[in-house]
Order: sequence, then C-alpha cells, then structure tokens
Amino acid sequence: MKRSRIVHVVIIICFLLFTMISRFYGYRVGVEAGRAFWSIFEEMFKVMPCAFILIGLFEVWVKRETVIRHMGENSGIRGYLWMLLLAGLSVGGLLVAFPIAQTLYRKGASLKTVFIYLGFVGVFRIPMTVFEISFLGLPFTLLRLAVALPLFLFVGTVMGAVLSKRDYTLNPEE
Amino acid sequence: MNFILWIVTALLLTFSLIKSGRKTAAALVIALKKLADLLSLFLLIMIAFALVVTITPPELLQRWIGSESGIRGVIIALGLGSVAVMPGFAASPLCAALRSAGVPYYIIAAFSLSLMNIGIITFPVEKRFLGLKVAIVRNLLALPVCIIVVIVFKVVFRE
Repeated sequence: MKRSRIVHVVIIICFLLFTMISRFYGYRVGVEAGRAFWSIFEEMFKVMPCAFILIGLFEVWVKRETVIRHMGENSGIRGYLWMLLLAGLSVGGLLVAFPIAQTLYRKGASLKTVFIYLGFVGVFRIPMTVFEISFLGLPFTLLRLAVALPLFLFVGTVMGAVLSKRDYTLNPEE
Repeated sequence: MNFILWIVTALLLTFSLIKSGRKTAAALVIALKKLADLLSLFLLIMIAFALVVTITPPELLQRWIGSESGIRGVIIALGLGSVAVMPGFAASPLCAALRSAGVPYYIIAAFSLSLMNIGIITFPVEKRFLGLKVAIVRNLLALPVCIIVVIVFKVVFRE
C-alpha cells in the first residue's frame, strides 16, 4: 500500500470515530458532519458502481479503432456530438468524469474531445438538467446551456490543441 | 433516474456475459480496480465536504449572497461553488431554496456553474488524472466561463 493511501485511511478512521463519539456525547457539529457525510456517501454510491462497471465494459468491448474513428484527432464534428451525448449520459459529476475521460483517451480519443467532454459534463448532464428545469424553470436552464456549451466547446478545443502541440499525455503514471 | 442507470448497467452486463464470460470478468476486474484505487480519495473528499457544510451556518449564507450582495455576492457564490462537492440532485433543490429566499438568478448561476465545473476539494483527484499544471489550467479557464455566464444572466434577467 502506498504511504499516501495509509494517511487517507487513518484520516477516514479518525473522522468516523469522531462522528461516533460525537453521537455518543451529543456533540452537535460532529453529529451533523456525520449526517452530511453519509448523505453524500449514499448519493455517490447510488451511481458509482454503475459508472465504474460501464467504464470496465467499455474498456473490454469497444475497439480502439472505433474510438479513434469517432473521437480521435480527425473525427471532426462527430467527436463533438459524441462528447455531448456522453456528457449528457454521465453521472456523478467531475469525480466520475475524470476516470471516464482517461478511459476515452487511452482508447484513442483526442485531447480536444477529452477536454470538451470535461467541459460539457459540468453543464449538460441530462438527469441533472431535467431536474434543474423542474426546480428553476426552463428559461434558467436554457440560458445556462446556450451560453456555457459554446464557451466550453471553445475552451476544450483550445486546451486540446495547445496540449497536443506540447506532446502532453494524460495521466502518465499508469 | 438512478433506477434507469442500474437497469441499463444490468442489461449491458447481461449482454456482455452472454457474449463472453471471460471478457465480462475482465471488465469487472477493471471496474473494481479503478474504484478501489480511487476509493480512499473519494471518501476523503466527502469528509472534507461534510465538514465544510457543517461549519458554514445557513444564516451567513443568506446575508452573503442575498439580493443586495452584488459583485461581492457573485464572488462568494463562485467561491462556495468551487469548494462544494454536491451531486446534481442536491444542487437543484438548494438553488431553488436560494431563489425563494430572494437570491437573484445571476448569483444562483454563479454558484451552480462553479459547483459543476470548478473543483477545489476534488482537486486531488483531478491532479492524479490531468497532472498538476493542466488541472490548475482547466480550473482557471472554467472561471471566466462562469463569469461570462453570470454577466449574461445579469443582463437577461435584469435583476
């Protein structure tokens, strides 16, 4: 086990002990922190296992050539549309988006499409968007999408182009 | 929504299993490995989030980003959004609650955009995937996008 991993585990155990002791003595901050932790834990683990299983299936079944053709350097507008679709279907926010982006990249998606995905995933997750419409109304959501999507398309394209020129590779340690 | 996700995953897993048991096993190993690899970091981030949320009192929030808060409100909303980690399903009701408490749309947009696109607490995960420099650049570039959206909201909704 890596040393950083051990530090993480120690902190996690300390936190869990802290919330349990807080509960025992009725220390309000500790009890509420525990409750907040479990509620986000529950939310994340409703989607996390699926997201990672889908990543696994993707890695095993989808051929590298297919990814290159649809999302690679010369995929053009098709690559953008794929990213829009993938971002729309993504769950779990940025935390899950990074492993997905890495998988796409390792299968041959271009840096440009990967960074466009990372931009889109923040603004165009369909479940989140539908939910937002019901809470904040259609005008709010439409305006948000109309402004943010083109901007992130632009930012992603520029980042991808600049990084490709500099021979940048995603996650070199693996 | 989560229900649909589980059904789709189960269906694809079944298809995969019918076509090749060996490949399906390989896929599950990949999934498990990746999850195990990130788990401790994920839990740490959730702890950080829980502590931040608990320590910030809601009355302060109202005063900081209320209708009179202006540019200071936008900056605070951007800051809060950057620090917070929240599933979309928790964010929308929160934004609606802010709205009914009189918070203008452009400040809500500042919070919701930065929440989804800038990650300070999630930065350790991002750094592992993108590397330190690119992770910083990505977050820094997301900031002007948020600000432009805020300006457009301010103009369109005239609040």
